[in-house]
Amino acid sequence: MSKHSVQVKVFRYDPARDADPYYLEYAIPFEPRMSAMNALDFIYHNIDSTLSYYDHAGCSLGICGRCVGRVNGKTVLLCQTAITGDTVIEPVSTGRTLKDLVMRKGRRDDAEPTKDTD
Amino acid sequence: MTEHVRTEVLVIGGGGAGFRAAIAARHSGARVLLLSKGPLGRCGATPMAGADFTLDGRSMHELGRDGDLNDSREKVFNDIVTQGYYLNNQKLAEHYVHTAPLLLRDLLDWGLKIMLSDQRAVITSGLHIMDVLLRKARSVGVEMREDIMALDLITNGGAIAGVLALDVRSGEFIRIAASAVVITTGGWHKAYWPNTGMRDLSGDGIAMAHRAGALIGNMEFVTFACNIMLDPPMWRGSLAPYVLSLVCGGSLTNNCGEEILAPYDPVVVKTGTTTEWNKSFVSHATAREVRLGKGFRNGGVHYSRGDVSWEVIKLVASITFPGWKYKAMDLTEWGRMLEANEPVEVGPAVEYFDGGIVVNERFETAIPGLFAAGECCLGPFGANRIFSAITEILVQGRDAGEHAAHYALTEGGAQPPIAGFEALEKKALLPLARNNEVRPAFLRRELQLRAQRHLGPIRNKNELEEFIIYLRGMKQNHLPHLGTASSGRVYNKEWIDCLELGDLVHLLEASARCALARTESRGVHFREDFPVCDNDRWLVESIVEYAEGDPKVCTRPVTATTMSPPGGKMPYLDMMKKMMQSHSDTGGMH
Ligand SMILES: Cc1cc2nc3c(=O)[nH]c(=O)nc-3n(C[C@H](O)[C@H](O)[C@H](O)COP(=O)(O)OP(=O)(O)OC[C@H]3O[C@@H](n4cnc5c(N)ncnc54)[C@H](O)[C@@H]3O)c2cc1C
Ligand code: FES
Repeated sequence: MSKHSVQVKVFRYDPARDADPYYLEYAIPFEPRMSAMNALDFIYHNIDSTLSYYDHAGCSLGICGRCVGRVNGKTVLLCQTAITGDTVIEPVSTGRTLKDLVMRKGRRDDAEPTKDTD
Repeated sequence: MTEHVRTEVLVIGGGGAGFRAAIAARHSGARVLLLSKGPLGRCGATPMAGADFTLDGRSMHELGRDGDLNDSREKVFNDIVTQGYYLNNQKLAEHYVHTAPLLLRDLLDWGLKIMLSDQRAVITSGLHIMDVLLRKARSVGVEMREDIMALDLITNGGAIAGVLALDVRSGEFIRIAASAVVITTGGWHKAYWPNTGMRDLSGDGIAMAHRAGALIGNMEFVTFACNIMLDPPMWRGSLAPYVLSLVCGGSLTNNCGEEILAPYDPVVVKTGTTTEWNKSFVSHATAREVRLGKGFRNGGVHYSRGDVSWEVIKLVASITFPGWKYKAMDLTEWGRMLEANEPVEVGPAVEYFDGGIVVNERFETAIPGLFAAGECCLGPFGANRIFSAITEILVQGRDAGEHAAHYALTEGGAQPPIAGFEALEKKALLPLARNNEVRPAFLRRELQLRAQRHLGPIRNKNELEEFIIYLRGMKQNHLPHLGTASSGRVYNKEWIDCLELGDLVHLLEASARCALARTESRGVHFREDFPVCDNDRWLVESIVEYAEGDPKVCTRPVTATTMSPPGGKMPYLDMMKKMMQSHSDTGGMH
């Protein structure tokens, strides 16, 4: 299989250390029908292990819905979005960054116990 | 800032077993905190499941479904024990059979919707089960926290006293005092590559229980689902071809163009492809081809529809993958390939662990106050599972939760010593100070690939020994130097990887040592150099002790109640056929 490489530009920001967000570009070997998540996995495994994306849990198969992010500006599930050439990967909301592509928790997914009646 | 928390029952794990345990403990009057490593209701294996919930046909009938009145709990029990090659803990199998109908009734009362059913199973979905449990847990006041990873157990005077946990997002520790603890952390899929997806399942709970003094066992019995998509990368790990082949059949060919199942006994092939016996049989057959050098690039074989008509495939797919979507996965391209009768590469990938933490019928471990339930336990299925794991985890979760609550409210209450927390925190922080001397992700991938090769469906002495030497080397030379590139604590995924890797190595060594000791072939464990099922010598469970950090394997007799185990020896596939043919004469896929 011929392996050409593509450039993947990733949003980086560690609010505890960086004054401002920035982007880093990585060259990765391209495989047909690889996902944005596969690209991040490659970067983390082989190039830059300081990169954070929601990966300590999650399904990689489009089931858990936790890997939302933006690929070339569009909000998608990273694990189910194929990249086809040079790609930009960002969090859904750059204002809510916890670290890199991982976002702080919004109200919606707060884990407070709520009571309902049954 | 380290947080301090106190609870009566602490449940570690947020899959089906964990939620069911938490609800039961709450119903029994205890204060309950549940920790989920990943997102609430969306992590672990449970949401990934199809999912079937199995019970006997008579009980199905009593629930108002189409069930076979000639079926009985005894027949289901017979089938579970023969499918498990008599290696089952029959007390746990009885518990499963008797509790399943009650459990299903509860779920229906709580709003479970059934999609389909046959004579012995209802089909819902794992996601839906999790939603029902999550809603129920909220309504009864279970406190729940997500993205929290338990790191270690703390005992006092031999009894459970607390747990040290890590908030994955903030990187801060949580010191938890608990009167009773229920471990429900599922399997250790992350020890293998490829696997079936879940990124949180690294066997932390099994490893921490072992370290604290609980026994683990039957670690050699690892179930591989067959016909898992291996390529392209985006679909890798998907069960879609497993599901389609189970319903429709199809063709599996090696790199010489040969049908890989052609050499086998037609009776075995029939049951071994049209029922969930496919996991052990087809995974075995596939691994054989690959070991003979007849596999493809990703260590698999080719699946295509063969002479099954496109109309049949289309019809089944319209039910299993409506619009060629499997959850959020777009399989349109695979649909095109199936129509054109083009193959995809598929192979065995780890799906379920039959062994785990040793528990009794009250789901107690060897440590007072420590309970365990679900896939992390050495459960009812012996050497091979056909009946539903979803049923297993729920029946066990319920009872473990009740017993844990009872313990917490009557006997528990040992205080966790501060020094215990401090020592564990110090140890956990070490990788952050080591500046990436040894990178965990790199080691993990190497480990996963070796596990797939040497501890897959087919094993032998040389490879197991080589693998154990590799694991020992890793433990001595690499694990002590694991470090992170960034020393920040906020969502530092490399730190999490460091913390998980030791557990993966420990469990793989336990598993490899059990597999090496078991010089026979049974269920999902096949030894190339001992291809005979030896009922005279090996109807024993493998039990692993924790000997100063290392796994030490011994055995204990199987727990039999009403079905006496057979004697004699028989070639592996003949024994498989005999077990297949011991099935009760009833309707239903299981
Ligand atoms: C892809 C797939 C499909 C399947 N399909 C079926 C099916 O159709 N029918 C069937 O019967 N079975 C099926 N199975 C098997 C079944 O889904 C599992 O055996 C079962 O769901 C396990 O449930 P559990 O609650 O024991 O563990 P899990 O559901 O795996 O949950 C474990 C929980 O523990 C958490 N955890 C782990 N470590 C820690 C820690 N250190 N701290 C805190 N939390 C932690 C995890 O995040 C997770 O929440 C399938 C399995 C897979 C992988
Ligand atoms: S990781 Fe679960 S949907 Fe993408």
